Formats: sequence, structure tokens, C-alpha cells
Amino acid sequence: MISQIPINLIRFFLLLLAQILIFSNLNFSSFINPYIFPLFILLLPFETPRWLLMLLGFFSGLALDMLIGSTGMHAAAGLLIGYLRPFLISIITPKGTEFEISPNIYAQGLTWFAVYLGVATTVYLGFYFVIEAVTFYNFFFLLLKTILSVFMSVAFMLIFLYLFSSRKKRRFE
Amino acid sequence: MYNLFRFFLRYYLFILFISLEFFCFYLTYRTKKYNQAAYNNFGLAVGGKVHQSYTGISDYLYLRRMSDSLVNENAALRQRLIESKFDNKVDSTQVNDSVGRYVQHFNYITARVIYNSVDQASNLIYLNRGKLQGVSRQMGVFNANGIVGQVISVTDNYAAVMSVLSKDFKVSAKLKKSEYFGNMHWDGINSTTATLEEIPKHVPVKVGDTIVTSGFSELFPRNIMIGTVKKVKTQADKNFLEITVNLSTDFGNLSYVYIVKNIRRNELQSLDSLSKKND
Repeated sequence: MISQIPINLIRFFLLLLAQILIFSNLNFSSFINPYIFPLFILLLPFETPRWLLMLLGFFSGLALDMLIGSTGMHAAAGLLIGYLRPFLISIITPKGTEFEISPNIYAQGLTWFAVYLGVATTVYLGFYFVIEAVTFYNFFFLLLKTILSVFMSVAFMLIFLYLFSSRKKRRFE
Repeated sequence: MYNLFRFFLRYYLFILFISLEFFCFYLTYRTKKYNQAAYNNFGLAVGGKVHQSYTGISDYLYLRRMSDSLVNENAALRQRLIESKFDNKVDSTQVNDSVGRYVQHFNYITARVIYNSVDQASNLIYLNRGKLQGVSRQMGVFNANGIVGQVISVTDNYAAVMSVLSKDFKVSAKLKKSEYFGNMHWDGINSTTATLEEIPKHVPVKVGDTIVTSGFSELFPRNIMIGTVKKVKTQADKNFLEITVNLSTDFGNLSYVYIVKNIRRNELQSLDSLSKKND
């Protein structure tokens, strides 16, 4: 369990840098805002206690907020998926599945991950866009923006996972 | 008491969730209410450093384009020098008052954009100039093509600018030809257009007309380019036109900008408070 701390720390800084230097600078269009940063909370070990998930979601979101100037909004969204993550995992995982220490794309498979990331990112971005500008945008724009952004975000997240996941099975450690 | 304790033990996660969520909303609401005045300065200082070093690297890729645009602007400014003009006025009664006719009203501080976004609901721009270089809140920002935004917070070496592409940004704009003025704000989706309101219905407005700053706010001098008219809409039940403006600034491609330092600002503000007192 201890060995999970450095790897998650490295992942945190890697995702934060990738988010602020690349993905927040892409400026595709107003319809597409890709965020890969939620991946940090989504890849924490399965046995992380729920209060810790929430606190990590909150503080990691706050760090991103400070760097891109969206005070409090990513913190709110990160907190929300930290709170909902255990529900989500228990819903989408078949009973009796053996778990690795953390979610791994080679262990859980692409389908599981696509559903997991898809639902979590929809919740995250939907919530984020709503608190960002609920009265400013009309409903259909908000909906379209959420759908397109989720699609792009999940695509980038999967690329990130295939690039940086370890293929090694850790089950018998 | 025991029941209360048990209640907290049972629902402590939910209580933690709700209270932190309220704290986040408080942060967001606070920055919105005060026009992001209370914007986190620590974040700006750290973020400024990160973005500054990144810009230092990526600048090398765009050196040619940047120097081209600067040379073009220099040429345009040179054309306006008195040496480039031919004096064809024969007016013997004209008195050359070299003592005190023109006093400096605006100074300009150059700055480099180190972070920029165009696809959020409120887009922020970071500049590599701050308090130590003379920047303060409520200063206008523009570049060679047109207006860019307004400074909303400063640290020692960095400034955060609310871009024109922000839901809270408003600027006083006028039609260059007829001098009618109104309020301009962004419509939220397209990063190349904005909406100009409060122009009365009887004013003739044609597609392609130039729109510039009015100079009524203390942010910008007069006649700084904003854009051109793209579409004019008349509504039967309203007394004002709804004008869609093609912004002349390319917000996806900002490098160097000017920060407007209004030397007479304090005087204007004291006049403002004085007239309020007299009401």
C-alpha cells in the first residue's frame, strides 16, 4: 500500500502539468474542453477510504483551480467524483471479480474502463460546466458541450492509460 | 446526545461532502461577486511562474511570426509620426503653443501573454507584468489589432486579465462614423463575435462599419479598435438595435499586448465620488 503513494504523486504532477500546459492550451472550440485531470482520482487504489478520496478530489481540484484561475469549480467537481467513485465502481463491476490494487486498463479491460471513465467524466464535466455558467449558456449548448468534451476527454484519457499503464500483473504480490 | 453522536457517525461522509461542497461554492461565489477582485493571488503567483517558463520555451517556435507582427505595427506607427506627414496648411494665424497644450494622459506598459484561453465561459489571460512594473487592477489591455481585456488582479510580477471573452466583461463602445455609443459584451460561444447593445433604432448602421472604444470609461483611450459590424438586427418590441460585432483581435493568437495606464484616473475617480456625494 505504501508503494502506491509515490506512483500516485508522480501521476498527480504529470496530469496537472499535462492539463495546464497542453489540454487547457489546446483551445479547440467553445464546444470542446478536454480535461484529463480527473484521471488522478479515478486511478487511486481501490481500497482508498472514501473520506480520503473526497479530500484528494477536493485538494487536487483546488490545485488545478489555482493554476488556471477557475477558483473553487474544479474542487467542487473533484469532490463530487471522489464521493461517487465507490458507488460507480460497485455498480459497473460484476460480482466476484478479483481486483488489482488500483484500476489498470490491462487488468479490467477496455470496456470496463470506457464505461467507468465515460460515466465519471460526464458527472465531472457536467457538474463543472453547470457551476461555471449555468445562466450564461442555454441548455442545448451546455448539453452539446458536455457530450463533446466528455468524448474528447475520454479519448485522451485512454491514450494516457495505454501510454503509462504497467502491463505487469500485480495480483500475487 | 447519543443519538446525535450516532447520526454524525453514520452520516459523517455525507456531512463532509456537503460542507466541502458549500465551501467550494463560497469560493466561486466570492470571486464572482467582487468581479474576481479576491481572486487567489497565491495561485496567480505560482501559475504565473509555471506559464512563464513554458512560454519561454514555446516562444522559440513562433519567433518569426511575432517579429513580423511587431515590424508591421512599427511601420503603421511610423506613418503617424509628424515626420512622415507633409504640412500643406498655410495658416499664418495659427499659434504654436508648445508649452502646455498636450499633457500625457495615457502611458502604455508592454507585456507578454503567458497563459491564454478562449473556450471557457470566463476566459483569463496571464501577463508577465505586475505590481513592481506599475500594473494595478482596472487597467485596460489591448494589442495592435484591438482590445483584449481588463486587469482584474495583480501580484508582484504577474497580472491576471479578464478577457473580452468573459461573461462579466463589458466595455463602452461607439460607432466610429456616427459617434453613437453603447455597451458591448461577449455572447459566450464564438470567440470571434460579441454583441453591441443600446444603439437607438434610428441610427443608420451598415454591415462593415467600424466600432471603437468610446473613451468614456477610464479603462481605454478613445478610438481603439474593437471590430466591425457583422449583423444588425431590429426587434419590433425594442427601441434598440442588436448589433453583432466581428472582433478584430484574434484571441487564439495573442503574444504581446499593451496595458493602459490612465494617469488621470485618480482625478476622475475623485470627481465621481464627489458628484455622488453631492446627489
